[in-house]
Amino acid sequence: MFFDFAVFPAVASLAAASAAPGAAPASAADFPWLSASILFPIAAALLIPFVPDKGDGKQVRWFALGVSLITFLLTVGGYLNGYDPSVEGLQLVERWQWLPNLGLAWSVGADGLSMPLILLTSFITSLAALAAWPVSFKPRLFYFLLLAMDGGQIAVFAVQDMLLFFLAWELELLPVYLLLAIWGAKKRQYAATKFILYTAGGSVFILLAALAMAFYGGGTPSFEFTALMAKEFPLKFQLLAYAGLLIAFGVKLPIVPLHTWLPDAHGEATAPVHMLLAGILLKMGGYALLRFNVQLLPEAHAQFAPLLVVLGVVNIIYAALTSFAQRNLKRKIAYSSISHMGFVLIGIGSFSALGTSGAMLQMVSHGLIGASLFFLVGATYDRTHTLQLDEMGGVGQKMRKMFALWTICSLASLALPGMSGFVSELMVFVGFATSEAYALSFRIVMAVLAAVGVILTPIYLLSMLREIFFGKENAELASHTHLVDAEPREIYVISCLLVPIIGIGLYPRLVTDSYRASIEALVQRELTALDRPLGNPPGGLIRRSPLGELLPPALLQAPALTAAVA
Amino acid sequence: MPSAAELAWLIPVLPLAGACLVGLGLISFNRTINRLRKPVALLLITCVGAAAALSYGVLAEQLAGAGPTEVLFNWASAGSFNLQMGFRVDALGAVMLSLVTTIAVLVMVYSDGYMAHDKGYVRFFTYLALFSSSMLGLVISPNLLEIYVFWELVGMCSYLLVGFWYDRDGAANAAQKAFVVNRVGDFGLLLGILGLFWATGSFGFEEIGARLTEAVAAGSVSNGAAVLLCLLVFMGPMAKSAQFPLHVWLPDAMEGPTPISALIHAATMVAAGVFLVARLQPVYVPFPEVQTVIAVVGTITLVLGASIALTQQDLKKGLAYSTVSQLGYMMLAMGCGAPVAGMFHLVTHAFFKAMLFLGSGSVIHAMEEVVGHEPVLAQDMRLMGGLRRYMPVTATTFFIGCVAISGIPPLAGFWSKDEILGVAFGQFPLLWVAGFATAGLTAFYMFRLYFLTFEGSFRGTDKAVQAQLLAAAGKGSGSAEHGDEHGHAHAEHPHESGWQMAAPLVVLAVPSVLIGLLGTPWNSRFAALLDPREAAEAAEHFSWGEFLPLAGASVGISLLGIGVAVLAYALHKLDLATAVAGRFPAVNAFLANKWYLDAINEKLFVQGSRKLARQVLEVDSKVVDGVVNLTGLVTLGSGEGLKYFETGRAQFYALIVFGGVIALVVLFGVLG
Repeated sequence: MFFDFAVFPAVASLAAASAAPGAAPASAADFPWLSASILFPIAAALLIPFVPDKGDGKQVRWFALGVSLITFLLTVGGYLNGYDPSVEGLQLVERWQWLPNLGLAWSVGADGLSMPLILLTSFITSLAALAAWPVSFKPRLFYFLLLAMDGGQIAVFAVQDMLLFFLAWELELLPVYLLLAIWGAKKRQYAATKFILYTAGGSVFILLAALAMAFYGGGTPSFEFTALMAKEFPLKFQLLAYAGLLIAFGVKLPIVPLHTWLPDAHGEATAPVHMLLAGILLKMGGYALLRFNVQLLPEAHAQFAPLLVVLGVVNIIYAALTSFAQRNLKRKIAYSSISHMGFVLIGIGSFSALGTSGAMLQMVSHGLIGASLFFLVGATYDRTHTLQLDEMGGVGQKMRKMFALWTICSLASLALPGMSGFVSELMVFVGFATSEAYALSFRIVMAVLAAVGVILTPIYLLSMLREIFFGKENAELASHTHLVDAEPREIYVISCLLVPIIGIGLYPRLVTDSYRASIEALVQRELTALDRPLGNPPGGLIRRSPLGELLPPALLQAPALTAAVA
Repeated sequence: MPSAAELAWLIPVLPLAGACLVGLGLISFNRTINRLRKPVALLLITCVGAAAALSYGVLAEQLAGAGPTEVLFNWASAGSFNLQMGFRVDALGAVMLSLVTTIAVLVMVYSDGYMAHDKGYVRFFTYLALFSSSMLGLVISPNLLEIYVFWELVGMCSYLLVGFWYDRDGAANAAQKAFVVNRVGDFGLLLGILGLFWATGSFGFEEIGARLTEAVAAGSVSNGAAVLLCLLVFMGPMAKSAQFPLHVWLPDAMEGPTPISALIHAATMVAAGVFLVARLQPVYVPFPEVQTVIAVVGTITLVLGASIALTQQDLKKGLAYSTVSQLGYMMLAMGCGAPVAGMFHLVTHAFFKAMLFLGSGSVIHAMEEVVGHEPVLAQDMRLMGGLRRYMPVTATTFFIGCVAISGIPPLAGFWSKDEILGVAFGQFPLLWVAGFATAGLTAFYMFRLYFLTFEGSFRGTDKAVQAQLLAAAGKGSGSAEHGDEHGHAHAEHPHESGWQMAAPLVVLAVPSVLIGLLGTPWNSRFAALLDPREAAEAAEHFSWGEFLPLAGASVGISLLGIGVAVLAYALHKLDLATAVAGRFPAVNAFLANKWYLDAINEKLFVQGSRKLARQVLEVDSKVVDGVVNLTGLVTLGSGEGLKYFETGRAQFYALIVFGGVIALVVLFGVLG
């Protein structure tokens, strides 16, 4: 393992050199942080065959953990050195012509939409590497895929070119497919095939839309987001492209009824893969919706947004009910993921800075909470060797720490105040309820239905806890299995996830301030596109009054504390 | 030196810090921390004690006439929108702070005795500190949003504590029920908060009140909508304060350890709903419809609670329904537009009900020596009787509690309940009748509890009754044998509890007797603190001619209730079983089945939601997924193709996709 660490500096410089040929980094700000964090894990993954390992994975896993941690540090370095949260536009931009006559360029950059998700990706992947500790079947291949996925997913969030985006989107399918198909449970082939058919089927639309948008209006085709943003697409064209992209990203997010790959894929995956699927993969859908549908096609978004809200509500209720009826633990949590992504949809469709900000925060928050729950599912399965709730019961007596961790994570998932899920859902609720883009009756109906989710979520999560941990110990289970309590590694993984979950819950501006400017610019774009006159704003005229009146007077009396906190 | 009000944020933070420290210790060094029982308890009691001291400081400042203090900071923001958090100290808050911390400290001292032999001793104290912190945070919240935050957190603590003995199925179900029913209330609360924010652009109590009235007057919000929003917000207090029909969780919550029943489910958390309604008075007052609904809900609840309490055989359940009933009184006061009266009853009730619950815990603790650790046996009054001889301190304090709650002057309950009834008499005469009659029922059921538990002869060793009770609870002879195994350890008769348990009882007995004198109608210091103008007005308009007939009537009906209880359960002159239950079996069944509300709840909501969920899952797997699989089949052309994919060579497919993509790229590259 010491040997492995010694390799790193060399690899890092190699990756940096390959990313920036001929351009020696002059200062920290000029260092190609994003390219490095994309290419470094991939390059390092290629070195895995040379890692001395007896085949039991005991060396490789240290290597993979080290690489993923360095990638995490690279993304953090980029955030600290080259990213200014108060700037709304692209930062950390790197651009090299690749195929000039095709308009294809290696163009990466980050704004408020991508930066939090890039950090989330490298963070969750590091924890997944730690979560994958017990993997002993074909460890080299496993970690290779894990690291390749790391780079691929950062690329999805960082690239600023639609063709490149499409390539990255497709490229990360392969590792997921293989991770599912080789390390999955019994029905893994079916699940993996379903996953790839769904996603590949959806991504055809991305390609079509990308080509259409790039070639629209003649001239040299350009796939770069900035170039596409500058184009004025007619409404009909926008609607078509929007619909296509919605299908593609709706599969990923997922949006009911395009979701059925997810319970199968999640149900069959092993815990670390699971963490990546729930923690990062689903966020690609939400990110892409914001990036393409909202940013590039704002007029179409103005037309489609009510549909997004309705679909979001359907997601919340439908998936919560299915989750309640599920008897398989993994599938239960998988459906709960779908339910939580409903809030992302509502937030995206809310036409308010607060709601959209909430959608973004919900993605980050669910990335953390979903990953923690799936990790716990895996850890529990390692002990009980069953995922059927009927075969569990009373497990809490032998596994007290596990019980505590489960309880904390479930409470986080059911949006308990003080944890991140509450803040994001609240922001979506408040943002949507006060949005002026919708008629009052629509807002009321949707808010009430979405709030039904507030009742349903604790029902299925607490029932689950009750069936696993409470009550008399299941004698049959106890006799067959050795129920050891959580080990330090597991507690460490969960703690790492809980720190940001609780941190965001206590002071959400930790995260929201990092993307605030970009989201506000995005919503401004939405609102200008919202051609139709706002009509008579329903009721509550006070809301439109100047800021001074809006704030409670006490705030003005207490500037000292505000300043101190700010 | 900063004033106590400026340091008020420390009041919830201190217990929280203690709880976090111990909680982290429990997760990282479980065994070591679990062994440090007394030091941990001492640390956490010190934390809550310090919070109590600070609260008294705040209260003293308020008594000296300090104005409200409010400190806010920007918690979340997007666009022009800002969410504020912070804290606020005023007279109402100061009273609640002192009340909560006092009872919390006493309950913690008591728990040291009650939980002495429990494996989860340290965990219990951690939860207690966590609860105190959330409750205190709720009290100092400056706006509705922050109230909602702590509202949920106290709900979580209640969940953790009700389910504390997680190996018991009853506890598991009760904990979940408590959380879910409260979430139903929170559903309304959340929507109401959202709606009020939409209508007024604020989360602050006064601003909402002022702007909502303005908006209604200006016509931008219709009166109906405003009323609806107010009622939605009221759903939260309905659930938390166990108002009909969302009271169903509270009696079940008695599955938790008894100190919890005293602290959370009698004295503090359940009062949070009443407290919130008091805070929301500026919002509610302009809408008489809302006030009427609150008053009616309160009245239904007080009748319901008292009537069910008549037939309970479980000591704790009897007290639980009594709590439901008393919360109804408080709500009635709120609905009559007399928040001071409601808050006064909240305070007096907190003291004597905490004492009664702790007393019942002392009884249960003593009974466990005789019948073993089986709640079905240890809490059933059919096995008690004659305990006064064995545990005089408990019996005396319990008796004081019974007199206090029955409304006999000069004990606490008389002054507060009479004030509520006096207000109701002026506002809603019909509701006053219900409240007045229930006062009689209250006296009757409380003394029934007292006589069955403490007087007569001890029945705890009656094996036949024990077996019968176990059978009725569906716990076969297995448990009985289990009990017999430890039979040698069981005492013949119960003993008085140790000083940790007896001392809080005695301490609580003092305010139970005396605190009512702070709220005499002719010179109410309590009202003077909360609402000086109203207090002065009330003192001015006070006349013995109005006060005496009403007060005399309530004392009269209470004495009647006590008299019936004495005849039936102390002197055995009156056989109620044949006289009433036998003659009106329908009524008896109705009450014994708790108005059939649990059954309806189970049938309609629990089974209904399960069935709905199963159907949706069915649709999901058969229809939605079915279409997908069918499409897959059709696209592939034949079962052959599917087999091909199922054999795991689908990588090939991915390759085709990539090939296609690259071909397209090249094609466009050539064309472009």
